[in-house]
Order: sequence, then structure tokens, then C-alpha cells
Amino acid sequence: MSTSLDTRPALGTRKRAVAARKRSRTIAAGVLSLPLIAFAAVFVVYPLITGSMTAFQASTLFDLAGTFNGIDNFTSLFTSDGFAKSAGFTVLFSAIVVTVEMVLGFGLALLVNRRFPGKKVFFTMILLPIMVAPALLGIMFRLLLNGDIGAIPALLQGLGMSVSLFSPDSVVPLLIVLDILQWTPFTFLIIYAGLQSFPSELLEASAVDGAGYFRSLFSVIMPVLTPVLFAAFFLRAIDALRTFDVIYVLTAGGPGTSTTTLSIYIYKAAFESGDFGRAAAAALIILVCLIPFVPFIVKRIASTGMEKTK
Amino acid sequence: MTVIEDRPVTVRRRTPNRRRWLFTAIVGAIALLVNVPLLNAILVSFKPDGEIAANPLGLPTAPTLDHYANVLYASGYDFPRFFANSAMIALGTVIVVLAIAVPATYAIVRLGFGGRWIINSASGLRLLPAIFFVVPFFLLFTTLGLQDSIPGLIAANTFLNLPLAIILLAAGLRDIPNEIEEAASVDGANVYRTLWGIVLPILAPTMVAVAVLVFIFSWNDYLFALVLSTSNATPVTLGAANFITSTGIRWGDISAASFLSTLPPLVFAVFAQRYLVSGLSAGAVKG
Repeated sequence: MSTSLDTRPALGTRKRAVAARKRSRTIAAGVLSLPLIAFAAVFVVYPLITGSMTAFQASTLFDLAGTFNGIDNFTSLFTSDGFAKSAGFTVLFSAIVVTVEMVLGFGLALLVNRRFPGKKVFFTMILLPIMVAPALLGIMFRLLLNGDIGAIPALLQGLGMSVSLFSPDSVVPLLIVLDILQWTPFTFLIIYAGLQSFPSELLEASAVDGAGYFRSLFSVIMPVLTPVLFAAFFLRAIDALRTFDVIYVLTAGGPGTSTTTLSIYIYKAAFESGDFGRAAAAALIILVCLIPFVPFIVKRIASTGMEKTK
Repeated sequence: MTVIEDRPVTVRRRTPNRRRWLFTAIVGAIALLVNVPLLNAILVSFKPDGEIAANPLGLPTAPTLDHYANVLYASGYDFPRFFANSAMIALGTVIVVLAIAVPATYAIVRLGFGGRWIINSASGLRLLPAIFFVVPFFLLFTTLGLQDSIPGLIAANTFLNLPLAIILLAAGLRDIPNEIEEAASVDGANVYRTLWGIVLPILAPTMVAVAVLVFIFSWNDYLFALVLSTSNATPVTLGAANFITSTGIRWGDISAASFLSTLPPLVFAVFAQRYLVSGLSAGAVKG
């Protein structure tokens, strides 16, 4: 709190009243923030500290207290290939799905961005996958893809194809397609919202100049839309990098470890292998890798959000 | 707050009628495509057991409500309890998040507490992987006795949703002209009365937007429920998946359960769409 209190002898009642109000506002600021400070201390700061400490301890499901073991957890992460493999899979998976979702979301936003019959209904329908719990969507995917009762295998069989969807060869492309189906609506929504706040004078001006659709798109819409595209990209990238629910419900990271994302790796290290120290170490590495990007992203995304809400 | 208006950015002004219907067909097909998993689950939930494997592609020929009866009361599943747990966790989280975030954000934005720094750390926290907090939360909750309890999951979901709430509320507060509060303080109202009597009613739409988003995200949480609940506090996201292992594979019941579990967020998606769009597009990250 930086409010400076006027402690000099009062020159008049008015000045005293101003000082008193300032003081009461400072106190009020403290009182009103108290619940947040208390909550953040217990559920943000303390876990950040203990989580970082656990990374340097031999701590297991049966020995929660843990004893200091230096960098043993990190050594074991880097000497076995599970961590590196899951990191590689996570980055590859994220890069592919986010790229495709950005392109499709942008295209869909341009497509929807006009008047046509039934627009309201279809707009709402496109947003529904964002609202379905990913874990429940995972169950619905299982229902859809099951070899015995699923509609998709039945459809493929009807077309004369026999593909085992969850075999090691096809499971990664399958998960990529499912993620695109699930999250293209999200990139669509962000970009579409951005198009709505687009200054229409700009377009009218370019239309008067006689610029064609694609020329207007690249020379007029794209530059103005860049911050929105940036926000959509980073929001999706961050979410893709921590993918857990759908993949865990569908494959639990298998077959083998071929679809183990970093989140699944950490979860399994902690609650299947019971090795809390190794799980915390892996989590700490990810945290440290992400932190340098945070201020940059916050600046870009926060400013986009603020502009929009003006 | 961004409100989606029907103001398309069209370069060409007049589109002939027939071409408009073409867009209806294309966008309609995409809208159906992204909802295939949900629509398929709904269809399966109305098919009798024998028909599910025999007729995987078609509409139910003899629709039945048996699966819904099974899930809700007939076969002793715990589904109603999972549903009630989810409702308590989601509503509890909405209340706690608003109770913490509204006064704090007011102090930050209007009374100069902490300044931009706190808003920025809130945004930053939103970017950090939730998985980092899984192990320390498990340890902390075991110590505090919050493991497998509704209050515990409310605390975890509050943690997940507070940053988003602070970001949205701060933006909403900045939209309110300062003069209104200054007038109140000239009239002798203290900070608390100004906040309660004048700011809250104006801030109400933002609070509704925050409440809707927080409800959906808490309802949909899976990772923290998986780690922090075992039986007493199990929500639907976890409970619906439990059907697969605990009862053999009763696909009809599973699809009825997963559709019912999806309903509350879907109802919001349809009836509170305006808030969702503004909330999600204002720099929000799904937890």
C-alpha cells in the first residue's frame, strides 16, 4: 500500500477530513483484499513452495513427509526416457493441433461472418463442444469409436475399410483429429469475436478502393486482427501443452507410453508409481521452462482483453 | 465487454439469396460435425440394449427411457449422488470465487491495492500448468483433512478459477465511470456502502458472466477431482467414467449418464451465450 498519510498539523478541517478519508480507504483496501491474501497464501504460495521442495526430496505415496535427496529426482528423470518421450509427444501433438485449429478456426470465422439463414442456431451449436466437460467428451468418443458398438467403426466397415482405431499406428492421428474436432470451436469463437470488433470503416474504405476479398483479407483484416490471432494461438497452445482429460480417458497414455502427455506422465509418476519426488521434479522443470514466456504472453493477452472490454 | 452483434464484416455488400443458403448448408454441416460425439451419445442413450450393437448407425427403432431410469434410480448406481456433488462443488465455487474476487478486485482497481502487479500475476497464474499443483495440493489436503471432501474440491476449483474472475471483474470495474463513486463519497457514503449499494448493482452483468464461466469450468474439472476425491466427493466427470469399469460395459447407461452430466453446462451455453462469448474472448484460458 503506497498511500502516504499527511501527518503534518492540520491547516483546516477540510484537509483533516481528506486525510481521514484517505486513511479509511487504505484500511478498506486491506480489509477487502484480506480474503484473497489469505486464500493465495494457503492455496497458491504455500503449494508453490512445497511443490518445489518436494522436487528435491525422496517422497512417496507411503512416505509423504519426504527426505532431502538433492538432484536425484532430476537425474532419474533424465536417465530414463519416459520424461523426454512424453515431452516430445506433447510438443509435437500441440504443434500440430494448434496449427490446424488456428487455420480452421480462422476459416470458419470468416465463413460465419456474414448474414445467412439459421446463423444464430448454428453459431450456438458450434460453441457446444467448448462447454462439454473434456472427460465426458472422452467417454462420448469411446462410445463413438468402440470396435463393437461405435458408429465410426461401423461406418468404416460399411465402406469396406477395416481400421483398428486404437492400434499403435493410428492412435496418434486419431487423438489429433479428436482434439481438432473439440477445440476448433474455441479458436473460431475468439477470432469471430475479434472480427466483430473490427472497425468497419476500414473495410468500407478498402471496398471503395476496389480491393478484392482476399486482398482486403490480407492487407486490411489480418494486420488489425493480429493481436486477436495471437491471443487465440497462445490460449490454445497453453491448453494443448497441458492436455490431460480426453487422452487419459481414451487411452490412459497408451498403448505403451505412445500417447503419454506431460500431464499424464506427472499424474502417473505421482499416483501410479507413487513417486511424488519425481512427479514434482518433472512439474518444476515444466514450470521453469514456461516462466520466461509468462510476462510476454500476459502483456499481449492482457492488453487484448483490456482493449476489448473498453 | 464484447457483445457479439450481428454485424458481419463483409467486403461485398449484397449477397444473392441462393448463395446465403449455401452458407447455411456449409456452416450447418460443420455445426453437426463438431457435435457428432454428443449427438451419437444421445441416440445411443435411447436405444434398447439389444439395438446398440445391432444398429450402431441408425436412429433408435424402438426408443426407450430405460437407461435414464437405470442411471437415475432403477439399478442402484450412485449417479444422483455424483450429480449432487458436482452441483455443490460448482455452486460452492461460484460463491467463494465471487466472495473473494469482488472485494479484492475493487480494492485493486479503485483503492490502489497492489496495482497492476496483482492483475498481471493473476494472468500469469492462469498460464502455469495446473498439473504442477496436483502433488502439493494432495499433500496439503491430506494434512488439512480436505481430501475427498466437497469443501476441498471447492477450494481447488476456486484456485483454478480465481485468476479468470479477477481479470474479468477488473475489466468490468474499469468500465464503470469513477464519477458515480465520487458522487457517493461526497454524499458521505463510506467505501463499503459505496461498493455494496452502488458498485455491485452496476457490476452485476460482469458478475453473472463470471458466475456462468466459473460454474461450467468447476463442473467440468476432471484432473483435480481425480486426485482429490476417492468416493464421498466424486463429481460426475469422474463418476460417469466409473461406470465403464464398475458395471461391466453398459453402453446405454453410460451414454445416458454422460448426456445428463453434460446438460447443466449445455443449458448455460444456450441461454447465457452472450456471457460466455464475452468471458471467453476477454483473454480467458480454460482451466
